[in-house]
Amino acid sequence: MTRSEGTIQSGSNNQRYLEFAIPISSFGATLIGVLIWQMGFEINFQFFSLGCVIGSCLLAYLAWIRPKKDIVALSTPIYAFIFFVVPTDYMSGLTLQLLYAISLTLLLIRLKHRFGMSHTAVSLGKELATPLKAYVEQNPDAFTGISPDAAHRAAMVISLFSTGEYGEAARVVTAITGQQEIPTAFPYLTRAFEIVHEHAIILEQSLPRPETYQTFLPEDEYLLANPQHLEYSEDRKFDTTFDNALLLLFSVAWNNAPADRLHLLTCQQFILKLLAE
Amino acid sequence: MKIGNVEVKVSIISIGVFVFFTLFLIVASLYSPEVRSNLIWLIPVLFMLLVIPVALNYMSRSQYAELEPEYERQAKTVRVKLINENMIGKIVRIDGVVERVHFQFLNRPQYSVADRSGAISVKMFTSPDEDIKVNDVVEVLGQVIRRYIVTGEPVVNCVSIRKKRAPVSNDD
Repeated sequence: MTRSEGTIQSGSNNQRYLEFAIPISSFGATLIGVLIWQMGFEINFQFFSLGCVIGSCLLAYLAWIRPKKDIVALSTPIYAFIFFVVPTDYMSGLTLQLLYAISLTLLLIRLKHRFGMSHTAVSLGKELATPLKAYVEQNPDAFTGISPDAAHRAAMVISLFSTGEYGEAARVVTAITGQQEIPTAFPYLTRAFEIVHEHAIILEQSLPRPETYQTFLPEDEYLLANPQHLEYSEDRKFDTTFDNALLLLFSVAWNNAPADRLHLLTCQQFILKLLAE
Repeated sequence: MKIGNVEVKVSIISIGVFVFFTLFLIVASLYSPEVRSNLIWLIPVLFMLLVIPVALNYMSRSQYAELEPEYERQAKTVRVKLINENMIGKIVRIDGVVERVHFQFLNRPQYSVADRSGAISVKMFTSPDEDIKVNDVVEVLGQVIRRYIVTGEPVVNCVSIRKKRAPVSNDD
């Protein structure tokens, strides 16, 4: 087990404990209160609402650490404060606390089912997601010999596209292709840069799709992430060509510019969307 | 209702609140002489329930109208798929089909707009110029923001949503 996997496993266990702690603390504190009252110690029942307050805070924490946020779970500590700040007598306090504990448990189930898992090493940008990893490791030999400088430029282009700086991306590509930095042994890389350049200009100037546009050649197909299907419309073929070009540049950058990997990981969510055809 | 060049829309909720309190005041004034003696200030307060939402709507819509040319100038037409969290703050234009509409009755509509690459949530903090319905083909101008300002997935904070006459390409 790698260190990263170990950390994720331990984080997952901690979360499981926290999930159990929500009903235990909210129901448990109320139950303790009932037992104490049964024993004849009539302590202010409001104190036993502390379990519900703690349960709310734990639920809000679990909602916070998920990539997809649940605003209802996040706001439960506020409701706990509103409900339990006012002193109540035994019966109404007991009813309120039990109803609140049931609500917290239902919200916990809802959080787990509707708002997915908590952050992973992928969502935290520490490693590549499985499909992307499989793609970049698919053809390592095809990229042997590409200079780190050309790969670094590819990483720059990815970064500029992910931030919507299309004009700047077009300028970077012009600089690479203009200075002939790409060895002739990698014609697919030149094509990928040219495709990206064409799309960068179209996006920057909000132009419609041209009648004829740059494409990959049939011999490049083994390097492409998303297959082009014959039944695709021309618009979709145009988009897929662009997605494939960016994915190919990502793969080149990942394999040949290790220094840029941290930066590439910050663009992963953007690149993953292109891969998910 | 039009004030200057701005078409002001009052939400059904505001009208409902106004009608409810009007009826409540009528009934209360019939039965209580104390309420009748206070009608001199209760009636203006009642009208404020209508005037304040109208004023707020006027202000937000005129503000959005001022922003629109600037957004029009800066916006880049993108596919939904290209919008990601690194684009927070960027001004974009998307063309797509409205799949869902929520909270229109609050004058804070939220749309799900889809193009051939995916769907995205489009939030608007005032009423749109046109009545936008499900399946309308629209052009959206707005800024990419996070759903809950500091956290959450990217959504479009819409400044303008307009129906397009020409349909978007229907494919795949």
